[in-house]
Amino acid sequence: MIRIPYVRIRRPHRLAAEASAVLIALVVAFPLYWMVLSAFKPAGEVQSLHPKPWTLHPSLDSFRRVFWQEDFGRYFLNSLLVAGAVVVLSALAAFLAATAVTRFRFRFRTTVLIMFLVAQMVPVEALTIPLFFLMRDLGDAVPGVGLNTLGSLILVHLAFSLPFAVWMLRGFVRAVPESLEEAAMIDGASRARFLWQVLFPLVLPGLAATSIFSFISTWNDFLFAKSFIISATENSTLPMALLVFFKPDQNDWGGIMAGSTVMTLPVLVFFVLVQRRLVSGLAGAVKG
Amino acid sequence: MNRSHRPSRRALPVLLLAAGLAAATACAPSTSSNQGSSSDAKSGTLRVWLFQEVNNAPKQKVVAQAVSEFTKAHSGTKVDVTYIPIATRAEKMKAAFNDPKSAPDVVEFGNTDTAGYVADGGLADISAEFAAWADAKNVTDSVKSSVSVGGKVYGVPWYVGVRALYYRTDVFKSLDLKPPTTQAELITTARKIHAENSQLYGVASGAMNVFGMLPFVWANGGDLATEKSGKYTAAIDSAASRKGVAAYTSLIAKTNCPPAQCAAMGGDAGIQAFASGKSAMAIGGDYSHAAVEAGAVKGKYAVVPLPGLTPGSIAPAFAGGNNLGVMKSTSHRTLAADFTELLGGAAYQQKMFDAMGNMPALSDVQSAVASKTAWEAPFVKTLQSGTKFVPVTPAWSAIDSQAVIPTMMQEIVTGKKSVDQATADAAKKMDAAFASAG
Amino acid sequence: MARDLDVRSDVSSLPRPVPRPRKPVKGNRTGAGRWTPWLYLAPALILLGGLLVYPIYQLGLISFLRYTQAQVSGGQPTAFVGLDNYDALFKDPQFWQVLLTTLLFAGACVVCTLAVGSALAVLLTKVRALPRLLLMFAALGAWATPAVTGSTVWVFLFDSDYGPVDKTLVWLGLTGFQDYSWTYGRYSAFALVLMEIVWCSFPFVMVTLYAGIRAIPAEVLEAAALDGASAWRTWRSVMAPMLRPILLVVTIQSVIWDFKVFGQIYVMTSGGGIAGQNLVLNVYAYQKAFASSEYGLGSAIGVVMLLILLTVTLGYLRLLRRQGEEL
Repeated sequence: MIRIPYVRIRRPHRLAAEASAVLIALVVAFPLYWMVLSAFKPAGEVQSLHPKPWTLHPSLDSFRRVFWQEDFGRYFLNSLLVAGAVVVLSALAAFLAATAVTRFRFRFRTTVLIMFLVAQMVPVEALTIPLFFLMRDLGDAVPGVGLNTLGSLILVHLAFSLPFAVWMLRGFVRAVPESLEEAAMIDGASRARFLWQVLFPLVLPGLAATSIFSFISTWNDFLFAKSFIISATENSTLPMALLVFFKPDQNDWGGIMAGSTVMTLPVLVFFVLVQRRLVSGLAGAVKG
Repeated sequence: MNRSHRPSRRALPVLLLAAGLAAATACAPSTSSNQGSSSDAKSGTLRVWLFQEVNNAPKQKVVAQAVSEFTKAHSGTKVDVTYIPIATRAEKMKAAFNDPKSAPDVVEFGNTDTAGYVADGGLADISAEFAAWADAKNVTDSVKSSVSVGGKVYGVPWYVGVRALYYRTDVFKSLDLKPPTTQAELITTARKIHAENSQLYGVASGAMNVFGMLPFVWANGGDLATEKSGKYTAAIDSAASRKGVAAYTSLIAKTNCPPAQCAAMGGDAGIQAFASGKSAMAIGGDYSHAAVEAGAVKGKYAVVPLPGLTPGSIAPAFAGGNNLGVMKSTSHRTLAADFTELLGGAAYQQKMFDAMGNMPALSDVQSAVASKTAWEAPFVKTLQSGTKFVPVTPAWSAIDSQAVIPTMMQEIVTGKKSVDQATADAAKKMDAAFASAG
Repeated sequence: MARDLDVRSDVSSLPRPVPRPRKPVKGNRTGAGRWTPWLYLAPALILLGGLLVYPIYQLGLISFLRYTQAQVSGGQPTAFVGLDNYDALFKDPQFWQVLLTTLLFAGACVVCTLAVGSALAVLLTKVRALPRLLLMFAALGAWATPAVTGSTVWVFLFDSDYGPVDKTLVWLGLTGFQDYSWTYGRYSAFALVLMEIVWCSFPFVMVTLYAGIRAIPAEVLEAAALDGASAWRTWRSVMAPMLRPILLVVTIQSVIWDFKVFGQIYVMTSGGGIAGQNLVLNVYAYQKAFASSEYGLGSAIGVVMLLILLTVTLGYLRLLRRQGEEL
């Protein structure tokens, strides 16, 4: 068991600290509360001159408009599929890459690391046209990853979440001591066995951390879903369901809030699932 | 460090650089070609893209009717309708142009996008089909200009939207005011209301409400730009235009709608202000009717056309709207044109109005609507008294996205520039855009 | 001895030296081949090579061309224009002003996010389970909200006509805020956007640093407490040095993200503020280039952004290298 550092602290200080933590939590959560509240407000109250932090006539109308959209369930499942695939695949690829740059020394090691960083520095809008044509040509060669497919979304989000994942995982892989690897080798374990049966489980908590990033950025993406899924709208993802409510000069604010609430919930669920791993595991990123 | 590695260390990057430069000059970025299909199949599946409304069910019903009528009349054809969110239209249309395999045959598009799409080479020239269309005679010239580029027709007008003046009957009654009949009266009435009640804007005039401002310019005889043999020159800095701009921006002041609140207000925010009771008047469209009805002012408002300079005149309104067009890459040209004419015909324009409240684009249907639906009357009156449009050039989308006009108005109302200076700068930016669009 | 693969006890029972930069041993003791690292890197490199390196190269290429939607969909031919796009960009006085603004704003965002995140991370260590869980959950909600929604809600909360913030401030006695428009003034608008960005970015910093702090040995912190060090002193002289690797990743990521900020500014300042006073580089690029499909100019701006970020990041890394931090 990892020893949890116990910082001795005087009681009145702790009470003050806890009070401020709760207060800050309330302040941080307030905009979220407002979003959910607006989703339940009837149409006239969403933008009124006397905004109240409550509503006496909660209505499910906005949610109805969200869920009754054609193919809403389909979009939800598509988003889940894409985000899930990205989380799993980026975990694997990033783990291997992080192992390579941390436990081996080779020429261009620093260059590769910097290259991973550079990949994130370009504004994404600038890349949409080249990526569009890349996907189109790729789709001609490999069925299943061209335009109008979920595969194209998975590929592009993989590419964008890898750099950060590799940099984060470096710390975790470094934390595992060399002596462990030597010991496993002496025991006759193959390199592959060490990699997957020893190193991978140790780094799993770190992967929990990076998986949250990958999940959030894939789940909330509008741009690539808009650009790559053109005619096969059955392959659209959840943000499309939200975009319907943005109409120039006639935004449906209740619908926007309801749609956003529906979009935010799964991320919170995902976090609850991985959070225990997350906090205990992030400790590894500091060691070494 | 191994010394023998050094020379190769330096050589490698240089080699890579040289190879990179060579590759760079040799390669070209991808393009697609919208040459237009040579085939014109008389059967098969017709792909149609329409905009998805928030409350889409009524629209879907009407379109389904059109589809069944069409498939009955053309055996062996199916119609596949896809609804796309308006906020994605830019990306979807670009994608359709870039990948003709994914493109539809018939498409709904906003009329301010016409010139851009034509320049992109995506829309088919249907002048011939349009000329032979029975309902074409009911398309007024100003509406026709929103589907035409360079004298050729690229679409069928489906529905239009115009703006008029919403006002609070109860406020007017309590202050013993009458709805304004001239532009000058509008300004004085607004100021009077705000003076009486500082919590109420006289008229919700936002500096980002371009289409609310333009009638002021047009009523004074000015315009955004003038056209000569296909080339546009900015005219926002002409004396007449400046009068209009000055009149509108005088409303964004502490005497009516303070800049702090109104400098970033657009058309939507203005109507929201009216609907929630924050403003006594607002310049809004026929499409805003539902939002106002849902607000706190239900039953306490009425609508009149936006007045012009002289009593009883109507300031020319901007004729926004949506069109139906045929894609150049289509391989079902005749079928696409037929479906477009069916859905855009008088019968379905009336049905779309009944279902969605969309103002028809054909003048005979408009008159029928005005006589049957009271609240539409001032909008139809505005429409039929003459509407105007924005410059029909792909440069308009650049001018729009660079927010040239809103920036101009914001500079004036914040005191950064005088009317003359701001309009002159805006004209320069517009001319630059017109020049680069060719 | 080797059979015991219960790593956690292994790790914590190892004598912990004062942290010093640890170099991986040259080659490796496990006898892996020269190509092993490249094998492991292969999936990531192939993906990145194809999906990022190639498009970035295309980006550079396009920046030397006249390449708009008309060219892309075949309406007009592509034309090589050399440095014209860069020329147009650098000659525009607005570009330089926006660039300076972006650097300052991004810098302020990074500093504030790190400060808030670190402070709250330390706070989390001083409270018991329930308050900690509450704060973490709230933070995660802020993190998970789509950027467009978060911005919309924030700008609505601070609306001068409809928002509750102004009304609350007036109720508290600060009558100067009656009908105060946060988005009208240049600096108040930036302050508003900064608050929203800190709100949705601090969770990442807080959670990461919290776990890092928890890994610091108790003896070190207790020793500092016994010596009478204040919270700030403890942070500065004891915790921060030990958290350097984490702080490195977190800072670089924040710099990159905050420099490229788009959605928050676009939504909250209605596309760049009154008369463009709140423009940042990415919004400027959108306005001038991407919205009207001028990809040539947009690519030029993209290249410039990339070079600036690269310079800043490399400079930061070099600084850290000199301080002994191993890359």
